Amino acid sequence: MTRDIKRPVPFGRAARAVFDLALEGMVWSRRSLLMVVLVGLPVLVAVAYRVGVAARLTASLTPFALYGDLVVFVYLRNILPLVALFYATALVADEVEGKTLTYLLTRPVPRPAILAGKFAAYAATTLSLALPAVLVTFFVLLTRSTGMSLGAGAPDLFRDLGVLALALLAYGALFTLMGVLLKRPLIPGLLFLYLWELLANLPGYLPRLTLTAYLRSLVRHRPADEGLAEIFGEVLPALLCLEVLAAVVVVCLAAAAWIFSTREYVMDQ
Amino acid sequence: MTRSRLVVLSSMIVVAVGITGALGALYFDPARAAVGPLPAEGLSLPGDTRFVMGLDVHRFVASPFYQRFAKGDGTARPQAFKDLEEKTGLNPEKDVDRIVIGGRGMDKGPDGGVVLVSGRLDRTRISRAIETESKGVTHENHEGTTVYLFHEGSPRGAAAAAFVDDDTLVLGSQPGVEATITNYARGQSPIRANAALITLLEGLKPGSTFWVVGDQSVLSQMPMNIPGPGGQGAVSLPPVKTVVVTGELDPVVAVEVTGEAADPKAAQSLADLVRGFVALASLQSGQRPELKDLASAVSVTTEANRVRVNLRAPYELLDALQPRRPPVSAAAPPTGR
Repeated sequence: MTRDIKRPVPFGRAARAVFDLALEGMVWSRRSLLMVVLVGLPVLVAVAYRVGVAARLTASLTPFALYGDLVVFVYLRNILPLVALFYATALVADEVEGKTLTYLLTRPVPRPAILAGKFAAYAATTLSLALPAVLVTFFVLLTRSTGMSLGAGAPDLFRDLGVLALALLAYGALFTLMGVLLKRPLIPGLLFLYLWELLANLPGYLPRLTLTAYLRSLVRHRPADEGLAEIFGEVLPALLCLEVLAAVVVVCLAAAAWIFSTREYVMDQ
Repeated sequence: MTRSRLVVLSSMIVVAVGITGALGALYFDPARAAVGPLPAEGLSLPGDTRFVMGLDVHRFVASPFYQRFAKGDGTARPQAFKDLEEKTGLNPEKDVDRIVIGGRGMDKGPDGGVVLVSGRLDRTRISRAIETESKGVTHENHEGTTVYLFHEGSPRGAAAAAFVDDDTLVLGSQPGVEATITNYARGQSPIRANAALITLLEGLKPGSTFWVVGDQSVLSQMPMNIPGPGGQGAVSLPPVKTVVVTGELDPVVAVEVTGEAADPKAAQSLADLVRGFVALASLQSGQRPELKDLASAVSVTTEANRVRVNLRAPYELLDALQPRRPPVSAAAPPTGR
């Protein structure tokens, strides 16, 4: 059966084809090598704690408290937003910079399908990197004979996995939008992460303007030393957090798809 | 299948295996999961527990509060801790993670409470210390666990202590300790039947240094009248259905008390009453100016039928509120025994 070449490829098939192509480019890249090292750092800390190297340094921390610190301070606040920044801003920007976007745009595929396929590849890659690392960190720390048992910590693990996945989707959607909007989105993205997101530690309604405040409210770990957050830290209702984060994902992706569909890309020669 | 898909699939298999393992641990763990800040072993508290208190010992010991008030001049540890460490090898400042107290209501009298102490406990040394250092200690076997009984046969009932596992010591009245051991050994969580208490626990702010939750049954035992200002007359207290207290000690002493009244009107009356006492303290500022600062550190808000009292007091204020001690003479004779 031959396809009518005058009609565009259906959305699902087009998105899937782009997904395969983008996944191959993302998984086997130098960027992924760097990200593996980044998400593997907490695992190394956990192993060091477990074999006793770091036990003296962290004598006041129980294995579960250390796991909580790693989830909140390392994964949720630093590593995963960075992972999202480096991958999601590159979804379109890399194609523009490499002047390969023309090859995609000249195919009879709907433009939103290109973005959907690329974002799905981003989600698959980042989740494949982050979730196993969190699980390994949890098991390395919580299988220690002292402190909280594995079973007692399990509900927090499930919650953490869900929140971290949501963090990757929310930050990913936002940085995809930035990647579509801006020619060089990396610096604004870093400024967003390390300046704007600090509003989460301020009093009043300002934290509600950040993603961190919603994500932080969803996890149950509350490390003791959070500076200003310790004074003003507010735990937002879980339902509100989920609604806001879901809205961020939908709105940012819809806006990115609309901009990507309507924008005219002129490749520099 | 492409190499990339294989990588993603392998990763998802790792995640699935990990989640299955955690689910298995959750299912087979005798104490199951925790509720709010209540640790897993806390679910073994007796079913008729009416209020629960918790203390995060690490945060407490690390707080300026402990450094200032519990340790005195900041260099000496409390003598009781030194004695305890000598006898049992237990350093409460480092080895104890948390303390949970389950109260069984005032009507239970001396059978009232059960205390769970969790941390890195040297079971052998502590057991030996109980057997050798304490007078009149007997022991019994309950559900395969050795329970040490103190003052067995006394009219007030025996006090008891037992290890429910290597990390958790349970202390309290004999019936309370035995009920906790039974629940722990059988993997039962009768406290979950108290839906009101569980709801309060689930709603607690995680990470508090200390917390208290109590349901209506314990609050119904509270006095309904308190002496009025200046000891004149009595002030009626609106009935409170539930109370939740959470507190932090670093960097300032921050305590939040939330009481749930029967309706918004009762909540407003309760809030007005608290505001009245705060205003009264403020009026005393002529004699003690620091009371004005204390009054301004307290805020009272109402939300539907809830009253929220917030205290945020810096340590300088607490120091100022301390009674002034006369300076100790350098030539004071040493106290001998």
